[in-house]
Amino acid sequence: MLFLKYVYLAIVALLLALILTNMFKKDKFLYQLDAALVIIPLILRLLLIK
Amino acid sequence: MDIELLVLLAMLGVFLIGNLLLKLPVSLSMILGAVAGALVAGEGVPIRHLFEGCFTYVDTILIISTAMLFMTAIQRSGALEALNALIVTKFYKVPALMLILLMFIVMFPGMITGSSTAAVLSAGAIVAPILLKIGIPKARAGAILAVGAIMGMAAPPVNIPAMLIAGGVDMPYIGFEGPLFLITIPCAIFTVLFLGLKYCKNLDIEELKKDLDMEVGKKYGFKLYIPILLLVVLLVLTRAVPKIMPQLGTPLIFLLCAVVAVFTGRRFNAWEGGLEAMDTTIPVLAKLMGVGMFIQILTLTGARGYIVVSCLGWGLVALYIAICTIMPGFGAVSSYGAASVMGVPFLLVLLDTGDQITIAALLSFICCLGDLMPPTALAGNYAAQIVGLKYKPVLKHCVIPFLVCIALAVIYLLNSKYMGFLTR
Repeated sequence: MLFLKYVYLAIVALLLALILTNMFKKDKFLYQLDAALVIIPLILRLLLIK
Repeated sequence: MDIELLVLLAMLGVFLIGNLLLKLPVSLSMILGAVAGALVAGEGVPIRHLFEGCFTYVDTILIISTAMLFMTAIQRSGALEALNALIVTKFYKVPALMLILLMFIVMFPGMITGSSTAAVLSAGAIVAPILLKIGIPKARAGAILAVGAIMGMAAPPVNIPAMLIAGGVDMPYIGFEGPLFLITIPCAIFTVLFLGLKYCKNLDIEELKKDLDMEVGKKYGFKLYIPILLLVVLLVLTRAVPKIMPQLGTPLIFLLCAVVAVFTGRRFNAWEGGLEAMDTTIPVLAKLMGVGMFIQILTLTGARGYIVVSCLGWGLVALYIAICTIMPGFGAVSSYGAASVMGVPFLLVLLDTGDQITIAALLSFICCLGDLMPPTALAGNYAAQIVGLKYKPVLKHCVIPFLVCIALAVIYLLNSKYMGFLTR
């Protein structure tokens, strides 16, 4: 269903926004590294690259 | 020495040095281990494969994140506290039943999020004062929380080690509910009754009420529980009537129920709740990324196949001994790591001995028990903190439930060929 595809892209965008906000709020480097790691596949998925 | 063995040792060595000596996060240690393995195998730094590994668990990431949003929403709305109060006031005259229901509350966040840490920190923190007030000693209460959180982590619908093992052999995560319920529920019931029942004599309900939030349940009534009921209904309907009910997918179901929770109880800032939820989830998600890359390089270099072939040479008795000892032992580093590094090869070796989904479910259950293993012992350490103790006295009381869980899992493993009906 095409509609669900866009719903799921919206979910990915929401999660990305939450992770990015947390990443910039915290000043612990290793935490930011963890967050950056999670962001990579989510951005690629949002852009439908993979 | 075989090159695959060399690669495997390099990967595990770098991982352990990174995690235990340099105190790096599990995620980063796993990535470093993966890179080291690729270098030893002469593959250079295979960026494409590392990215491929990242994507192994994207679906799992969506499920865990949205589940955590749901869990935080019902916690902030007051539904968990109200459920706690309801169980104690209704069932204090039947202590065994009350303890079992409290154990289910401890398990619930773990079932939904697949994380024992989430279970201990959310429901565990709410149930702990009640257990202590009942008269259960601190160490035993801590053990109940720790084992309960792990049973929740292993119970369906979300069991991450099972997803890791299933993903590792290209098996869909479908049909795991039956075997996982059959192993987790009896173990949870045994644990709570074994550790707590003898302290539940002559309970004073008025004393207990002092530690319960009686107001939130009275104020919002039945509608507090609507998100939880909606979740159960949607999860069941999508499985029971797939032709009528549109397949929304687990992440969307969790998110819908989280949105409903915003309007059914105490008012709270949804964005702040979401940030709090993701704050505790990011390290878990990063760990999954690391595990994905680690497995990808294990596969690329042939080290994974090497483990399977070596296991085949051990014979079944040695294999079962390894399953009972090495797999939970590896949990001292990471139960997810145990699932991916040991669980996948062990499943491949055991494929012909019984029902494959049941075997995968039982292996994942044993991996989850690794969360009790010191020094990491995520569930255990948090549970000990909540009851105000060090982990050592809590761990002492976890030993017998741990052994019973392992024994039951092995009995089921040996009889898995008769349990196939549970997976349909």
